[in-house]
Amino acid sequence: MLTYTPGSTLAHRLDPRTKLAFQFAFALVAFTASTAPQLFGVLVVGLGSLRLASVSIRAVLRAYRVVILILVLGPVVAAVTPGPPWLRLAPALISLRSVARIIPILFVSAAFIHSTPIRETRAAIQRTIPGRPGQLLGVGVGLTFRYVPVLRADLRTVRDAIRARNGDTRSLWERSQRLTVLLVDRALRRSDQLAVALQAHCFAWNPTLPRLQFSRLDIPVWLLSVGFVAVAVVDLLGL
Amino acid sequence: MAREETASIDLVDAETVRQLSAAVMLAALTAVLAQFSIDLPGGVPFSFQPFGVFVAGLLLGPVWGGFSISLYVIVGLAGAPVYSNAAAGLGYVLGPTGGFLAGFVVAVVVIGAVAHRSLTPTPISSLSVIPTAIALLAGLVVIYLIGLPWLATVNGWTLTRAASFMAPFVVGDLLKTAMTTGVVAGGTGLLADRR
Repeated sequence: MLTYTPGSTLAHRLDPRTKLAFQFAFALVAFTASTAPQLFGVLVVGLGSLRLASVSIRAVLRAYRVVILILVLGPVVAAVTPGPPWLRLAPALISLRSVARIIPILFVSAAFIHSTPIRETRAAIQRTIPGRPGQLLGVGVGLTFRYVPVLRADLRTVRDAIRARNGDTRSLWERSQRLTVLLVDRALRRSDQLAVALQAHCFAWNPTLPRLQFSRLDIPVWLLSVGFVAVAVVDLLGL
Repeated sequence: MAREETASIDLVDAETVRQLSAAVMLAALTAVLAQFSIDLPGGVPFSFQPFGVFVAGLLLGPVWGGFSISLYVIVGLAGAPVYSNAAAGLGYVLGPTGGFLAGFVVAVVVIGAVAHRSLTPTPISSLSVIPTAIALLAGLVVIYLIGLPWLATVNGWTLTRAASFMAPFVVGDLLKTAMTTGVVAGGTGLLADRR
């Protein structure tokens, strides 16, 4: 599983807003890449991002194994035809070109995940999206991240309780209904408790945000991001 | 002085806090269910992936339901391994199955709007079978309407090929809409007094 790992690599030292901007700019330029040199270029940048964040390709391939399996299947499925000649090269090449754009995006995404703690991303969201929507999204992201392990434990408890009562022998319909209802009921009870806790802690629209600061390191990454967007726009407009 | 400091705190109103808490919990529930499956006879896994989306739309309505599933997607974008198979990140969202995630966000709004016929959710006990079933089917159609072209584009397939590839999953998803309809409108007492 690919998660944040503390470190002091160049990627770790960048401001999360810089990394978010770079990710989106890179995805944009990757989607407009169509020739072999362009695709090679985005692959080099993707691999470079992994290196700057000290993430191994093997870890990325393991983390995204299902996505990569579907991507690998892409050209194969595209090549197959239901009659003679059974396999056609042209659709497979079109598919391969589409699929080749996604792999570097996965690399950059993995570098971001490995080098950015959730609380920094939350602060970046809160600082970037203005007003109350940004505040709610920032708080929501932080709280959701906090509650996923709690609800996962609830799911285990519910599943064990059903199993202990010989629930595994019941029909799929009954098992699924019971599990969903019990889990939703627990989640809603936790939501009531969370609401009380937030109010007890004077949950406000104007909290003190975690500190974020750009450094000189961010400048070249921002310039690169702006360059990517410019290349993508030029390509999209056919200039 | 103390009074001035207190006055400068802009507290979030109780209703927003209540809805935010429920949205957070259903986003977390969607994340947990996305990675959970039970084995059918023969070892075929039955995934719980869309149940969170269905429940969020029916319980929270279009606005807060949409917010909840947006939270789920953003938490995954931020790097938490909350998508199917514990995946995360922009690369996953822009990958072949990312369209289904985007579809979830639109679907939850459609489910909430069709089921409640209003931006404000009505109590779940007042939802009857037919509107609930229609809302969930409409949501499912939206998920596939966004997910299939996305899959076709990313993999460089025709739409027909993408539809053939996904056809086996439609049966399971239809079963899940029927189950959710059964849970919400079929008279199970546990959820009747909620929201």
